[in-house]
Amino acid sequence: MKKIVALLLAGTMAISLAACGSSSSSGEAAPAAEETEEAVEETEEAAEETEEAAEAEGPLADGVLTVGTNATFPPFEYLGDDGTPDGFDMALIKAIGEKIGVEVEIQDMEFSTLVQSIGTKIDIAIAGMTVTPERQETVDFSEPYYDAVQYVLLPVDSEIRTYEDLEGKKIAVQLGTTGNFIAEEIEGAELATYDKATDACNDLVNGRADCMIIDKNPAEVFQGKFSDKLVAVDGAQFSFEVENYAIAMPKGDTELAEKINGALQELKEDGTFDQLVEDYITNYSAE
Amino acid sequence: MENIYSMFEVAFLRKNRWQLYFKGLGVTLQIAVFASLIGILIGTVVALMKLSRNRKGKGTVFTAIATIYIDIIRGTPSVLQLLIMWFVIMKSCSNGILVASLSFGINSGAYVAEIIRAGILAVDPGQTEAGRSLGLSSFQTLRYIVLPQAFKNALPPLCNEFITLLKETAIVGYVALADLTRVANQVSTATYEAFMPLIGAAVIYFVVIKILSTLFGILERRLRQGDSR
Repeated sequence: MKKIVALLLAGTMAISLAACGSSSSSGEAAPAAEETEEAVEETEEAAEETEEAAEAEGPLADGVLTVGTNATFPPFEYLGDDGTPDGFDMALIKAIGEKIGVEVEIQDMEFSTLVQSIGTKIDIAIAGMTVTPERQETVDFSEPYYDAVQYVLLPVDSEIRTYEDLEGKKIAVQLGTTGNFIAEEIEGAELATYDKATDACNDLVNGRADCMIIDKNPAEVFQGKFSDKLVAVDGAQFSFEVENYAIAMPKGDTELAEKINGALQELKEDGTFDQLVEDYITNYSAE
Repeated sequence: MENIYSMFEVAFLRKNRWQLYFKGLGVTLQIAVFASLIGILIGTVVALMKLSRNRKGKGTVFTAIATIYIDIIRGTPSVLQLLIMWFVIMKSCSNGILVASLSFGINSGAYVAEIIRAGILAVDPGQTEAGRSLGLSSFQTLRYIVLPQAFKNALPPLCNEFITLLKETAIVGYVALADLTRVANQVSTATYEAFMPLIGAAVIYFVVIKILSTLFGILERRLRQGDSR
């Protein structure tokens, strides 16, 4: 009996070790092989470029761009039917990856840890992230790609109408989001911070919070889902400022920034961007 | 050195953030204390249920209920129990501390039941026989002879269980309660600096638990004073 167990254990270990080995080697080898082929086929100039890229250290050196996101923020990012992150941001970053010629690997993590993880656990982050001065102290941002407006989700029978009405209320937010920071500034407000925007919304519906502050598009999705219970109000009514979504990148990496901004610009010019907006944002429907 | 001080200033002093940590510690302690009280109550009852025997010396229906309860609670993660309690069972209750205390109390009850059962079993059967021979009823024997000794046996593991429980409450951030861990998370999110808030919170937990374990140690020694005469 003991021998059988020992054999089984040894077998599992061997298999798992083999699995680790093959996945990492294929992950690195495949893009490298592609690069070599391209270099052979293309002109000398291109060949020189590849050499430079190979020499350069940094996020793109291994041909894989690790992108952090938090897939609880529809329609920008959410878990698709197959359980992997999907949404406008995911489609956009994959298109950008294609333009730059790197493989995009998505990592789903808590929103609040995204900024801190850039440069260590992830290369860049795309997560409907608003450009703020505080975040700019730690990371650089790409050109903005979307206007962010904060919305206030209210129960249908709520009497909250103005910024002053928000004072002293219990406000549900997703930890680390712009809504979180706006709510912190509201006098006497009691914050309930959630890891998932969807949980915050559930608790608003359950009557555990007076309102919820979140970006426009997810607010509309949630409102659509609970149309008999919630109303979504434009943050302009509460004099919230309009801000922009951008991709967060390691501070001072101008090379990467140029590549990403260039790709973004190209996507906007060739119409891919507008197509993605239509596919993922305009036509998004909550189940 | 100056760098560390400025990190400390940002994480604890600026905007009076230290108050947040204290409030968070308050939430953590409240949940731990209420939950352990509920846990000891449930645990004692369940332990007695599990030890109940009919006249033929076999387990009763109470034994079965207690066993099922203990199996279910020990067989599921406490995070899931908390989420189920918050989002499913007590969906309409917005008193977070109450929901968390109940959830952790029910969870702790299963472990406490086994601790107390072990404590009771460790009391020599001769004690029960002696009590019954002296004319005490079986309840009186339990109440005045077995349980006091059982409690003394169970005290070290019970203290251990309380400390475990205190640390386990760190997951209540899942349901938006601002306990000590959550506060550290909030501060690190607001300042984009993880080192100070997280290490700070760890130090606070450590100090509180060190104080508690010292107090428990004193209590234990007091209870043992009568042993070696």
